[in-house]
Amino acid sequence: MANNAKIGNDTPEASEATKPSKIAEFAELIVAAVVVILGIVILIETQDIRVPRAYTKVGPRVIPEIIGWALIIVGAWYVIDILRTGGAAPSAESEDVDVTLPTDWWTVGILALALIIFVLLIERAGFVVASAVMFEVAAYAMGSRRYLRDIPIAIVLSLAVYLVFTRGLEVRLPAGWLAGVL
Amino acid sequence: MDVFSNLAHGFSVALTPENLLWALLGVFLGTFVGVLPGIGPALTVALLLPVTYSLNPISAFIMFAGIYYGGMYGGSTTSILLNTPGESASIITALEGNLMAKRGRGGAALATAAIGSFVAGTIATVGLTVMAPIMVRVALKFGPAEYLALIVLAFTTITALLGSSLVRGFVSLFFGLAIGLVGIDGLTGQPRFTFGNQHLLNGIDVVTVAVGLFAVGETFWVAARMRHDPDNVVPVRGSLWMTKQEWARSWKPWLRGVLLGFPIGSLPAGGAEIPTFLSYSIEKRLTKHPEEFGKGAIEGVAGPEAANNASAAGVLVPLLTLGLPTSATAAIMLAAFQRYNLNPGPQLFDKSPDLVWGLIASLYIGNIMLLVLNLPLVGLWVRLLSIPRPLLYAGILVFAGLGTWSQSQSVTGLIVLYAIGVVGFLMRRFDIPVGPAVVAVILGPEAELQFRRALQISQGDYGTFITRPIAAAIFAFALLTFLGPRLWRLLRPSGGVEMPEMTT
Repeated sequence: MANNAKIGNDTPEASEATKPSKIAEFAELIVAAVVVILGIVILIETQDIRVPRAYTKVGPRVIPEIIGWALIIVGAWYVIDILRTGGAAPSAESEDVDVTLPTDWWTVGILALALIIFVLLIERAGFVVASAVMFEVAAYAMGSRRYLRDIPIAIVLSLAVYLVFTRGLEVRLPAGWLAGVL
Repeated sequence: MDVFSNLAHGFSVALTPENLLWALLGVFLGTFVGVLPGIGPALTVALLLPVTYSLNPISAFIMFAGIYYGGMYGGSTTSILLNTPGESASIITALEGNLMAKRGRGGAALATAAIGSFVAGTIATVGLTVMAPIMVRVALKFGPAEYLALIVLAFTTITALLGSSLVRGFVSLFFGLAIGLVGIDGLTGQPRFTFGNQHLLNGIDVVTVAVGLFAVGETFWVAARMRHDPDNVVPVRGSLWMTKQEWARSWKPWLRGVLLGFPIGSLPAGGAEIPTFLSYSIEKRLTKHPEEFGKGAIEGVAGPEAANNASAAGVLVPLLTLGLPTSATAAIMLAAFQRYNLNPGPQLFDKSPDLVWGLIASLYIGNIMLLVLNLPLVGLWVRLLSIPRPLLYAGILVFAGLGTWSQSQSVTGLIVLYAIGVVGFLMRRFDIPVGPAVVAVILGPEAELQFRRALQISQGDYGTFITRPIAAAIFAFALLTFLGPRLWRLLRPSGGVEMPEMTT
């Protein structure tokens, strides 16, 4: 045990500071509730699966029903576990993360915006444009403030990826606005 | 000997100039991406999958073998120089290795990791060569009930042995199983949980799930709590050559690491975490320099790193002979096989000997290439560590989007990817392990198929799962993996007995 404790926590002071707050505990309870709801949704949707008539063997509904019930049970167990222990501290395994910081929703929001832009642009504007814009916005979200340096990097990377994968590796990517040029 | 002629045949496939080139490219790209902070071996393999799409299956898998081993090597470099393990199996390498680097012995730490990985990887690949045909013979006797039992065993061990909390492991496992339900039911052709969207008929691909959970989830997680203090890449000072004393202190831990890593890795329960943790605690016990542990002891890098690489080769035993992935990385490799309509298992050795033995032969070749490539190129790898983080994560998102698009060709695929990314963010926030979900996505449908086949054979008699002795024994063992530790604790309320101590 002594070994494990030491290995898991290379920043001992973090464990105290990251004790989950009441809000965090509530948020985790919502996650647990969603697990239960997912189970219920699966049970309801299972009723819509058509079982071919005269199909006498174990049909396509059996396993989804088992998984649905299992999710409900595991979700309930999760709720009990949170109420008993006060919830989990964030995972300390990631790189570049300081778990003692509060969640920075502004940064998360801009990052989400970058992904939404990619989804909206990729079919119309094509991969190169969508990817370059996403790169620029995502780099901004992650803290880069050297916009002028980032723009050529975004364009060159997107273009290079497009050319290598479509020409060399036969992966299909939408050309979009640049269809005539590329 | 049969094995030798097979292996010789494998080398004749892998040693063509073209395939050597693919192996070299795979090794280089695998190391390159694996070194990047924030990218562990599983994500390395998932992100590089599109690169192999246009190749013929044999070349693709030879390249893949290189990517797999390269990703493992790359990860250890990051751990030693940045003290930020990308995955739980390198936590220990990061611990002692980074301390060595800070004491000015970073060169030696990198060397013992690289040479140890080579030694361990090569011995373990010999083990794979010998074990695989034996396992194939055993596997031929397995019916659907036994396969189901093995899959359940893989589920319980991955769930019970990873992460800090059993319930969170189960949440991850059943989330993955739920994802795996989406798509057409293989036996009756009925669509399930597709919500009328035709892009969901083929199901949600495990690569999309892995990239969503690892790449998109990680990026969101970093965005939410970014460290604002500058990076401290420890510069590599001192010679890359180990001193005589360092050699003397390294070779035994390497060999002990193999002895732990390969057998545990090749069990259908598998995983690299346990052997590395075990190796660390054994080395700590056996060392003649106990005072150095916790300050950068070379044994603490050599042993776990060897164990990690030996188990990486071990994991290929159940993957190739049973089609049973026991780690997130192996789950993605299985998906790669399925893309070529190949199903790992006993039949694969029969039907595609070129591919299987070419793949195994290229593991030997890849290992040598890595040894030759890794130490001289250390300067390049170090420079990769100082790529500005904003650009690194933006780039990861570009490749995540590219991979998913090349797979699904639809906006639906991207939306699924990003939704799973949000789930990955929440999983990190609440310390829910990601591995069980990834393995469950690909093994869930397989488990269902075997379950229903077994009941077809037994004509609906559920007793088939307990009356067939092998199946029953595996099921009992599966039950034991998560009941066992709890019973143990109940019986001995005085001491919290943990894994590492138990076996020594």
